[in-house]
Amino acid sequence: MATEALALRDLVKTFGATRALDGANLVVERGTIHGLIGQNGAGKSTIIKILNGLYRADAGTIAIGGQISPSISPRVIERLGVHIIHQEALLPPSFTVAEALFLGAEPSHGPILAGRRMRRRAEEAIGAYFDLTLPRGALIGELSAAQRQIVQITRALLNKPRVLVFDEPTASLVRREANRLFGLIRRLRDEGTSIVYISHYLEEVRDLCERVTVLRNGRDVATVDPRVTPMADIVSLMINRGIDEMFPKQVVRPGKPALALRGLGRAGAYADIDLTLHEGEILGLTGLVGSGAKEVLQTVFGLTRADRGEIEIHGQSAAVPSPARAIARRLGLVPEDRRGQGVALDISVRENATLASLKDLTRFGLIDTRRERRQVDGLIARLGIKTPGPEARVRDLSGGNQQKVVLAKWLSAQSDIYILDEPTVAIDVAAKVEIYRLLGDLAKRGAAILILSSDLLELQGICDRILVMYRGRIVRQLGAHETTPEAILAAAAGAGLGPERVAA
Amino acid sequence: MTADALASPGFAEPKADTEDRATRRARRRSQIVRLGSIGALIAVFAYFAIAAPGFAALGNLTNVVEQSTVLALLAFGMSIVILGGGADVIRGGIDLSLGANLGLCAAAYTVASNAGCSDIAAAAITLAVGTAVGSLNALAVVGLGVLPLLATLAVMNICAGAELVLTQNTVLTANSPLLSWIAGASWLALSVTDWVLVVTSVLLVLAVHGTRWGLRLQAVGAHTQAARAAGLGVRGYLAGTYVGAGLLTAIAAIVQAARLSGSSPGSGDILLSVVLTSLMSVVFSRRLLPSIGGTLLSVLFIGCLINGFQLLNVSSYWVNGVQGVLILFVVAVRSLSTRTGGG
Repeated sequence: MATEALALRDLVKTFGATRALDGANLVVERGTIHGLIGQNGAGKSTIIKILNGLYRADAGTIAIGGQISPSISPRVIERLGVHIIHQEALLPPSFTVAEALFLGAEPSHGPILAGRRMRRRAEEAIGAYFDLTLPRGALIGELSAAQRQIVQITRALLNKPRVLVFDEPTASLVRREANRLFGLIRRLRDEGTSIVYISHYLEEVRDLCERVTVLRNGRDVATVDPRVTPMADIVSLMINRGIDEMFPKQVVRPGKPALALRGLGRAGAYADIDLTLHEGEILGLTGLVGSGAKEVLQTVFGLTRADRGEIEIHGQSAAVPSPARAIARRLGLVPEDRRGQGVALDISVRENATLASLKDLTRFGLIDTRRERRQVDGLIARLGIKTPGPEARVRDLSGGNQQKVVLAKWLSAQSDIYILDEPTVAIDVAAKVEIYRLLGDLAKRGAAILILSSDLLELQGICDRILVMYRGRIVRQLGAHETTPEAILAAAAGAGLGPERVAA
Repeated sequence: MTADALASPGFAEPKADTEDRATRRARRRSQIVRLGSIGALIAVFAYFAIAAPGFAALGNLTNVVEQSTVLALLAFGMSIVILGGGADVIRGGIDLSLGANLGLCAAAYTVASNAGCSDIAAAAITLAVGTAVGSLNALAVVGLGVLPLLATLAVMNICAGAELVLTQNTVLTANSPLLSWIAGASWLALSVTDWVLVVTSVLLVLAVHGTRWGLRLQAVGAHTQAARAAGLGVRGYLAGTYVGAGLLTAIAAIVQAARLSGSSPGSGDILLSVVLTSLMSVVFSRRLLPSIGGTLLSVLFIGCLINGFQLLNVSSYWVNGVQGVLILFVVAVRSLSTRTGGG
């Protein structure tokens, strides 16, 4: 018993009809880094919210340091030595670093703040844990995401925690910052702190953790040692499905050209872009940041104008100067900023799904609600959108299901050309698979699909052809079946490696 | 194809070390706003000093301070409410009842004094009325969860109605030793009214910007979740701001009663100036939040503006319009700088 730093046993938590947790266990040994993984909706965030006292479990026990604690509030949990590093920093943006660090336990003379002592101790603490100094006197709101996270971790460490919970800590970090974080986590472990590490990135979990608990549907399906368990096994534990089913491949014979770019150029962004997208084809476009791939897509979206060249849609020359014009030509646009541009978060699934096709559903200026309802029900079933009902707010859906609503919008508008910008960013594995299957389905029915993605595995898995851009030009065309992620990356990075099938 | 690649985030772009540069840029932007505001203040002051005869005379300046005391006390209350409730114009903290509360408290003092109450009793009644109105706001906002904008609008009407009942919408005169002491006495060349302003300013600067309570209050307003996670009693702080604003208003009412020798209808008109000065204080603060010092500067700025217009024989009706324009300007500056800055 005494070796357990934290033990959650048989936790149950229900919200209405859904069981977010259904007898979940998480037992963390003292002085270890323990991973917690699972798809979105598997119950990770519910566990965190129970741990920080926001939710109360319906059943089950929470033991911290061998001591069973019946009721949990933010104060109680911190007194017992458990601190949570939230994904979004919980720091007031208008505070200075020192103020944010010591809020709630400010150095003071009686009620009067000891400002200088507070600043000095803040600098000492950050220097001790991270070996760096933040800009003197900076406000939290002026710091970068990584710097804010440093403040948050230091804040937790000041309390000498016995258990430290990291919730998706690398989500907003670049690689170098993430490596620095991993170093710190290992050091804390060596100093005897127990760590719970929650992440989407299996690679990180493998490199960092000694044990990993896999959550699925509110239950812990397995606790394994990731250093000896093959990644593929862990993935199938998470999704309960073999890895080969990730990319449901459908062989489709391409038809007539649907979208063609001829000699497209835009000063400072891209030049000489020739590209033909056929009906029934899924064409991938990729490149590093600054390669111009994103800018090409923006022109096709109608957000920016090309200086030279032309765009043909179904064989007809078409300048596409605005998204409205693009939609009128039955282009379906799936932007990268899903929550900002893809869906309207605060209206219902039904309203979102028919947003682009209301014209077809309207009679004498009124919406034919029965037909609309029938169409929406059909779309929800066809796309497998997980929603409490057609009237649910899109905000309440998971990321993957929000993306399906975007696709539903274009399906109902009978789009036949789909342009997607990073369609599976921040979507969990199972929903990704469903979106891949949907795209395959669409292609089979004759839709032409252009995908911009930086997920190489995804490109290779679902596309027929992949165009790689480098410094504003298409430098390589790769047949998806004959290439590897390494070859795509090499071409994008400008190396002369990979299969010798250069685009004409 | 291996499952390992599943986990790799594709092209991870190594970001150049631009962190500190971004921080510096954000700071410079807020610095420009701050320096610009102070520059505008100095420019207006300099203009009046040159153009308006007698503006820069010491007697006139103490006069400005004296005329500003009531407004300053109310604006301090408003700033504290905004600090604790958050600076969001729609959902954040605001107390629209301050002006009407001022009228009600002044009426309460006058009526009590005329009914034969001693000075101490009348002052106690006034403070009780002001605090009660603040508590009513607190009850509506914190207890019932009504948006502050609406809750205090309702309370404003309650106060205005109660004042009418007390005074029958007439000018009531009062005369008491306390009132004549406030209006007449002076110490070290400053009148009692001036001293009220000086003492409350110092105490509030210390309380809001120098104590644990003040820091925690600001945390409640700036990031409620963070305050809660730090174990603070958010509701207590929120309620306290409205009660405190009510108390400050009651003190202001006694000063007002002394200046006007009683109570007269129309005190509620001060609300526009209160909102303006409190919002304007934001541009003097690095955090782009109201501060006591910034509020005092804004109040004196408005005081100078009114006084300067009078000396230049510009109709005082213009002042309202100018204040309205300034509100728009200040809110626009703030929303611009929070949109592009921070991040």
